[in-house]
This record gives sequence, structure tokens and C-alpha cells, in this order.
Amino acid sequence: MGGNQSVPKVTKQDRAILDLKLQRDKVRQYQKKIQVVLDREHEIAKQQLAAGNKDRALVALRKRKYQEGLLAKTDAQLENLEKLVSTIEFSLVEVSVLHGLQQGNEVLKEIHKELNVENVERILEETQEAREYQREVDEMLANALTLEDEEAVQAELRELQLETLGVQDTERPVTLPSVPQEVPVSKEPEAQPEERERVPVAA
Amino acid sequence: MALSTHTTPSGFVLPSIHAAKPFFTQQPNSATQKTVSDNWTRLILSYARHRKLFTLRVEDATDDKSEWDEVLRNPRIQRRLRPSHLAAILSSMVAANQAMYEPPNQTSSVLLFWRSPEEWAQVLYDWANSTGHLNTIMTFYEIVEPPVPSPLEGLPLPILRKAISVLTKSARAQVIAVADGEGVRFLPGAPGR
Repeated sequence: MGGNQSVPKVTKQDRAILDLKLQRDKVRQYQKKIQVVLDREHEIAKQQLAAGNKDRALVALRKRKYQEGLLAKTDAQLENLEKLVSTIEFSLVEVSVLHGLQQGNEVLKEIHKELNVENVERILEETQEAREYQREVDEMLANALTLEDEEAVQAELRELQLETLGVQDTERPVTLPSVPQEVPVSKEPEAQPEERERVPVAA
Repeated sequence: MALSTHTTPSGFVLPSIHAAKPFFTQQPNSATQKTVSDNWTRLILSYARHRKLFTLRVEDATDDKSEWDEVLRNPRIQRRLRPSHLAAILSSMVAANQAMYEPPNQTSSVLLFWRSPEEWAQVLYDWANSTGHLNTIMTFYEIVEPPVPSPLEGLPLPILRKAISVLTKSARAQVIAVADGEGVRFLPGAPGR
């Protein structure tokens, strides 16, 4: 990107567009000229009428009519030219969009080359192997613990659960006192509390 | 006597020096004349910027209907700039690159650079950039007679050419020539160099 090297080449299309635009400018300039003539003829007609020269005024108006026709024709031509110019410009945009799509497509292809199915399968397989290996290691480590150790670990876990969550371990059976089988009989109900009061308190 | 500024009907404020009679006379002393000439240059350029005028002719000094009449004549002190004096001022402006003779090879008519070609180049490039005309080919006519108002409306072609040549030097524009005329393509190059 150094200096004048970055200037793009002038293509045939560029020249064609420029030609077209120059033509359009010429038509515009021509229209301007006609407009001036139109205005002048109108002035002339007015002046001639004021001076009483009806024929002259009519001639001027006829000329004016003719020029107006020309103006309308050039308007149509101008429209054609401008349509063509914008069509070409739009086509250029389309071409550049196509170019962009093409490039994107190529990049995608390159990426896909890296990402072919075999590679993916191989990588997935390797990952699977690695995972299995990890599991084996885990198992071996787990087996290295004795049963008692395992139980101790489990107990610690329960305790921690109790502490942090306040949740009772549901697995442990809840020990409740058994329901009494006999009907309770009250013997000397008043005596008992008295007896308790009389117990001497140590120290 | 107190010299005062004067506001013209077009809203331009003439400096107080414009009310001094000696200001309108060519001074025999070259140092004094230089001051007079510098002041005229400043006045002419600021008036040109105010009214967006590009051409100044020696005849404007004698024409009461000229658009320069407000500046080149002061009826309040019965003074006007002599054509020979104006010609001298114009030649000093051309020498200082504040104007150029247009058409070339004569000395009675100049194009005024109230923006230097480099400033115009920047205006031109900014305009092309902000109106999305980068990378499209444009005719000169399209630039100076745009369908929508732009800061470049009415810019004389010689100044436009100069501005474009400034841009081509920094690879921000490219001139394309065909049999029928010329066009220019603005490039999204590296600006602000």
C-alpha cells in the first residue's frame, strides 16, 4: 500500500461509465440552454404583444412551443441515460457482492479442509480413549482405599451435610421409643412431686 | 476624523481602513504600498468568501454594476480603486499564490483562492466521502453542478482541477480521461497524510 501503487487500474467499464456520464452532462447542459431560450421567447412574445405586434408575438410563442417539445424529448433521453448509469452502478455492486461471496466460499472450503470427517472422528476417538483412561485411573484410586476408610469418608460426608445443609441423612433409621403396651396406672400421683422437693440439693 | 466600519447591504462589514482616502491611492513608497496591497488582498478575499465570488476582473473597478462595487468603490468618501491599482494588487496576489490568472496568459482577470487548492481538496474529499461517492466515477460537471446543494457548487473548473491534482498526489483520487472529456474517481486511500 505504498503511494501511487494503490491506485486501481482504469478498466474499460470505467471508461464506458464516464462516457455515459459525460453524455448525460451534455444533455443537461443542452436542457439549460433550451430553458434560457424558452424564457427569452416568452419575454419577446410579451414585448411584441405590448407593442401591438400580434403576429410577431405568435411567432415567438410558436418557437417557444417547439423548444418545449425539444425539452420534453431530452427529458426522456436524460431519463434513459440516468437509468442506464444507475443500472451499471448497481450491477457493479452486484459483481462486488458476488466476489465477496466467492471469497467467503473459498475461505469456508479451506476451513472445511482442516475440519474433515476423518479428523473429527479421530479426535473424538482420542478424546473417548482419554476419558476411559481417566475413569480407570479414578477407579484404581478408589479401590486403593480400604473398606473402613471408605466408611469413614462416607460418615464424614454425612456430618458435613448435616453441618452445612442442616439436613438429616434420610438413610439413617430414626430411632423412636416404642409405644407402651400397658395402660399407664397412676399410683399415688400427689406423692411423687412432694418426694422430689424433699431431695436435698448437693452444695 | 474617526474612521468607522460600514456594513454593506449584502451584510459584509467593511473594515475602517476602507473609509480612509489614501487607501484607494497607489502609494509611491513601496513599503507603504505593500501595506495597502496586503490590506486590499485581505479585504478582497474575505469579501469573495462572503459572497462566494470566484472571479475578479480589472474592469470591475470601473463598473458600478459589478458585484464588486461595494468593495471597490466608497461613495461615502468619493473614492474608487483605479484599474491600474487593482491590476497591481492582482499581480501581487497571483505572485503570493492567492489567485491565478484565468484564462492564463493575460493579466486582467483572476480566479481568487479564498480557499487554497489544498483546502478545496479537503472540502472536495470530505464531500465525496460524506455523500458516498468514493469509488464511483464522477464527471467534473457533476461535481460543480450537483442536483442537490453542496459546498462545491459553482466552483470554477480550474480550481477544481487544482484540488483534484492535490488529491491524486496523495492517492486519494484518480483522473480518468476519455475522448469526450475527463472524470475523477475518489479513492478510499489513507487520508490525513
